[in-house]
Amino acid sequence: MIRDITLGQYYPVRSVLHRMDPRTKLFGTLVFLVSLFISDNAAGYLAATCFLVLAIKLSKVPVKFMLKGLKSIFFLLLISVSFNLFLTDGEVLWRLGFLRITKEGIHMACFMGLRLIYLVIGSSILTLTTTPNQLTDGLEKSLGFLKAVKVPVHEISMMMSIALRFIPILIEETDKIMKAQMARGADFETGNLVQKAKSMVPLLVPLFISAFRRATDLAMAMEARCYRGGEGRTKMKPLHYEGRDRNAYLVYVLYLALIVVLEKIF
Amino acid sequence: MTTTAIAIKAEKLNYIYSEGTAFEQHALKDVSFEIPKGQFVGLIGHTGSGKSTLIQHLNGLIRATSGTLEFEGENIYQDGYSMKNLRSRVGLVFQYPEHQLFEVDVFSDVCYGPKNMGWSKEEVEKSAKEALAMVGLDKSFYELSPFELSGGQKRRVAIAGVLAMKPHVLILDEPTAGLDPKGRDEILDQVAELHRQHNMTIILVSHSMEDVAKYVDRIMVMNHGEKVFDGTPREVFRHYKELETIGLAAPQVTYLIHGLRDAGIPVDEDVTTIEEAKQEILRILRKKNG
Amino acid sequence: MKIIQAAKLVFDYIRRDEEEKIEGVTRAIDGLSLEIEEGSFVAVLGHNGSGKSTFAKHLNGILLPTEGEVLVAGMNTADEDKLWDIRKNAGMVFQNPDNQIIGNVVEEDVGFGPENIGVPTEQIWKRVNDALEKVGMTAYRLQSPNKLSGGQKQRVAIAGVMAMRPKCIILDEPTAMLDPNGRREVIQTVHELNRQEGITVILITHYMEEVIDADRVIVMDDGKVVMDGTPKEVFSRVEELKSYRLDVPQVTELAYELKKEGVNLPDGILTKEEFLEHMIPMLKEAVR
Repeated sequence: MIRDITLGQYYPVRSVLHRMDPRTKLFGTLVFLVSLFISDNAAGYLAATCFLVLAIKLSKVPVKFMLKGLKSIFFLLLISVSFNLFLTDGEVLWRLGFLRITKEGIHMACFMGLRLIYLVIGSSILTLTTTPNQLTDGLEKSLGFLKAVKVPVHEISMMMSIALRFIPILIEETDKIMKAQMARGADFETGNLVQKAKSMVPLLVPLFISAFRRATDLAMAMEARCYRGGEGRTKMKPLHYEGRDRNAYLVYVLYLALIVVLEKIF
Repeated sequence: MTTTAIAIKAEKLNYIYSEGTAFEQHALKDVSFEIPKGQFVGLIGHTGSGKSTLIQHLNGLIRATSGTLEFEGENIYQDGYSMKNLRSRVGLVFQYPEHQLFEVDVFSDVCYGPKNMGWSKEEVEKSAKEALAMVGLDKSFYELSPFELSGGQKRRVAIAGVLAMKPHVLILDEPTAGLDPKGRDEILDQVAELHRQHNMTIILVSHSMEDVAKYVDRIMVMNHGEKVFDGTPREVFRHYKELETIGLAAPQVTYLIHGLRDAGIPVDEDVTTIEEAKQEILRILRKKNG
Repeated sequence: MKIIQAAKLVFDYIRRDEEEKIEGVTRAIDGLSLEIEEGSFVAVLGHNGSGKSTFAKHLNGILLPTEGEVLVAGMNTADEDKLWDIRKNAGMVFQNPDNQIIGNVVEEDVGFGPENIGVPTEQIWKRVNDALEKVGMTAYRLQSPNKLSGGQKQRVAIAGVMAMRPKCIILDEPTAMLDPNGRREVIQTVHELNRQEGITVILITHYMEEVIDADRVIVMDDGKVVMDGTPKEVFSRVEELKSYRLDVPQVTELAYELKKEGVNLPDGILTKEEFLEHMIPMLKEAVR
């Protein structure tokens, strides 16, 4: 049921990619996504495939896990591929009623499909090799320059990491309250939209009250442990770049250059 | 409809979480028992022993992976069996039940359950009033917001919310959690009163033997999803050494009595409460004088 | 040396309506004066609403007195410049284990306090290692707190406080939401910290079994101290404890009941061993 939702699906093995600085990985993911949108020819995609395969190899995460993420976008994939396949104008190869397949359609469908698949696999490599904490740390540090324009970067990343901690707790709580109300005859499944919305009140009110209570408790506990914002705070696990990160950035530059060159040539 | 003296009958209940995945967990293993109408049962086990999973089976919130479950002689897994009806007949009060309160005032919150049963307005209000009386809350509470009440009072309102559905069986999961000693005694006394006055079948889930020893007719002990002991309190407490190995303890009185027996004093080993222990020790002391 | 000195402490909870007008005042602490010796293990008992949690929150400046004052290691909690020093010295563990763990990984949560007070990275690691070792949670350091039992979560919370190297730990009903195993784990851990590290422990609870090994028991009712003494002294007054909505361990109650019937037993029996020591000769005499 509701408990099956998993977040931050970290895959704990030791690999170069796991040890890499989260900022490097964030940037790498960004580079990869950009490259997918730049290239629209086979050569570019070949380069992207090589890059992806290299990353998967380095991560030591079984390919099976990478593909798991695709399940959730199956329908999206199906829809976008069929739209492109059937609705692109061009040289008609086959026709049945109002459906027709064009040469351009096949071309577009393949690229759109690949683009989506690569997008999902690329970003799941990031989440599979980086703990949610490292991710928030990486974001905090990477976006540090925004502090200059008064964006509360530390506070935002603290909020994200607390949210990550409390999501499983609140999911469990939702499950519990739902069951408690079902034991009082509540019905969350049947009825029309209005009835369904109304039946959510006995679930949502207790859930909000509980979330507020937790927030008050947590604020008190944080204060009791001397928390007073990002000022003057030290880090238990500070981020610092190592040799492997420098190498990775080098690879990114070369890869991007290659993509741009391939795009120009073909 | 068949009439029967058995309220709940479970036969070889098994429940397996996330079957076929890496997270597979056997939460209940071949659990069988019969609970006659009007019995007061204590269900004991530590966290994760399967006791919470078991009680959720009894009102159909969880469906067993295998095994049968009968309520008042009817198989609840047969086609067309009304789960809604079952849930009103087997009232389940969850742990920290006050966390489920949501209405603007006490009275409307207690009405929520009976309203869901589709009863008429008069019936709903009548049973809500009766339920509130049963937990000792008078008219002066009806209009109050449940969130203004003390911890113990909130809990009573929540229990009334279940009682208002006129259950034949009342299951309470750790009803005393977080209460102070007086609050704990008040709730348990109230439950015992429901049992006595309304002849309700009661299942009291707890991890404290001392709390239940005073009240219940029967104790079932769960461990790792299995029912390991089942009998009257004195029968179960005789196994106090085995109970310890599964992280539970008999009431302190049991240890005192066994301490005396080990020293060669012929006290009755079946003593389970302070009152009984006192009488037993006085009996021996006075034998000489009297 | 006194670690805590509270003098004529008064605290009012003030309820206000929507227009910020005072609607009602509840006096939670009423003229409480108390001193606690450094290195001692003090249990504070009281029913729900007796003011014991409110008192606890004064000990590290979460609440400030309405009247009177509280000194922690000689520092006044009302002195804003000292606030962080006070919180460093008097760590606090709360009731709900889920609502006080901030980190997504055990070791990171333990490091949260030291990070806040600006301890250099290397030393944070040393403190985290030490603290986890002291509460016996080293094996779980890389786990998610959500996967731990209640007792384990509370031990992580205690480690989080220990990593700040406090002089004193205040535990506000740390066992109220735990099962008997978890309760035992937590109480054992704080006793060890008290004995081995010399940390002052102030344990707030309403479970009687948890206080029999304390050096001193303080009973609160209506915001005042109503009983104060060794566990033996306090538990010999069974009727009085009951009048404060409290309880005594079964063995104490049995001994008390027997004494009322004229059996010759001393006051305030707290353990099974003590009970048997007195009872066995008497019963042997009787059955001979």
